[in-house]
Amino acid sequence: MKRQAGVMRIGVSSLWAWWVPLAWLVALLAMIQIMPDGEDIFRQIAPDNRSVIYRRDDFLTLVANHMAIVGVASLVAITAGVGAAVVVTRSWGRDFLPLVAQLASMGQTFPPVAVLALSVPMLGFGTEPTIMALVLYGLLPIVRNTLVGLQGIDADVLEAARGMGMSAIQILWQVELPLAFKVIVAGIRTSVTINIATAAIGSTIGAKTLGDPIIAGIINGNTAYILQGAILIALLALCVDSSFERFSRLL
Amino acid sequence: MIELREVSKLFGREHAVDGISLTVASGELCVLVGTSGCGKSTTLRMINRLIEHSAGQILIDGQQIRSFNGQVLRRRMGYAIQSTGLFPHWSVARNIGLVPRLLKWTPARIEERVTELMELLGLEPATFADKMPAQLSGGQAQRVGVARALAADPDILLMDEPFGALDPITRETLQDELLRLQSRLRKTIVFVTHDMDEALKLADRIVVMNQGRIVQQGTPQTLLHEPADEFVESLLGGADRGLKQAGLTRVATLMQPLDPAQAKAKADLPTVGVDDSLRLALSLMLWHRCESLMVTSEDGQPVGTLAFHDLLRTAP
Repeated sequence: MKRQAGVMRIGVSSLWAWWVPLAWLVALLAMIQIMPDGEDIFRQIAPDNRSVIYRRDDFLTLVANHMAIVGVASLVAITAGVGAAVVVTRSWGRDFLPLVAQLASMGQTFPPVAVLALSVPMLGFGTEPTIMALVLYGLLPIVRNTLVGLQGIDADVLEAARGMGMSAIQILWQVELPLAFKVIVAGIRTSVTINIATAAIGSTIGAKTLGDPIIAGIINGNTAYILQGAILIALLALCVDSSFERFSRLL
Repeated sequence: MIELREVSKLFGREHAVDGISLTVASGELCVLVGTSGCGKSTTLRMINRLIEHSAGQILIDGQQIRSFNGQVLRRRMGYAIQSTGLFPHWSVARNIGLVPRLLKWTPARIEERVTELMELLGLEPATFADKMPAQLSGGQAQRVGVARALAADPDILLMDEPFGALDPITRETLQDELLRLQSRLRKTIVFVTHDMDEALKLADRIVVMNQGRIVQQGTPQTLLHEPADEFVESLLGGADRGLKQAGLTRVATLMQPLDPAQAKAKADLPTVGVDDSLRLALSLMLWHRCESLMVTSEDGQPVGTLAFHDLLRTAP
């Protein structure tokens, strides 16, 4: 009985702690729901346009697509970024450390638009080149933070782990990654948040994202469209970022 | 038993360890002493293959350590280091249970062993089991480190300046505990330190190293009486040697049995324990400005007297 009460209390308090991301999620869903009916309001912003609500796709589809593109790109970036950082911090991979660190920095100095332009001839138009650009763009924070996290571990802890007879794999999974986890998650948070914003550019080469209303708005001089896309992107980014913030506090 | 035969270690062209031969018998507490960079830690780490030796042979119970897998070898030996190297994300109990878990003991057996060790090292299981290393004091953390090293009941214990970072009082307590443990467990211990007092106190045998070579090895008494050269002499503290030697000798060896007729007359003398050191006895005489002390047994009964001139006799 006593134990159950404890579980209940923890359940309620931890749910309460998630109110910020939940609030952003509710705002996002509400906007998806009510913006199509907001013709009167958006008419004030763009009085000269024939249509003031973006209707080529419904907003829910765009949000879902946007999330899917960012999700796939982030999964690839996390796998590649954490993997590369782990490899170059092994004794046998140490030679590649400067190379990987530089490649990751270069990935971020490239403007995403340039990556899109370069990848279209290889991958064609649409979703794939967008994902590739996002992967390259999102790698740096993940690689950098994983490196910092792994290199920041007390050398004596690793010495003791080896001295106790742990294998390299056991040390990696039971000691290094858990100890670096918080820093790695912070890198993933930066990467994902940046990419939610950057993914909109994918619309210029035909990926279906929340950038569609923005691009259409720019082409037609329709501020209402731009605003609709921007509001949804901002709410999505806030929702995901605050979720990460909550999650990293649990660690 | 640990045997080193003509063992060398080269880092590049530097000889970190240069052809040392050394035998540590089973149940012996062997202390490697020397200044920093003398190769004592390297020697220790070669025994569990954290560092591979470049030349010579190292044998454990007659078997070449190269014939074992490094991890298997290390799980068979306890290892404790100065900074403890406790895993900061694991509780005390989980840290102690590390090697048994690697050896795939059952959870029940691990838990039983962890509780046993915590009690052995004076860590109240109910209080400490769930604490994290960051919540421990230096002395407590080092106890956990020693418990972790002992967890799988290894025959051999390697200790690399385990008490070096502790304050003098805690260090002394832990040294006493190590001696107490050793008298019960009789492990083969190789202990590295730069502190000659610690070596004199703990060692069955002291091995003095300098520039990768063994300068002298022997019992604490041998070293004090016949230091091989100036280096050993300076490690022993030069003129302080007399006090150090007195620190190694028990009052019991030089006291005079109590004459019942005089017992009353001497009842108000300051007292010293029969197992205390002559150094302590001398200090008491200086402090109380008296020339003789009453010697008492463990239960406080007077058993003899110790006079200042007794200290000048050589121990039988």
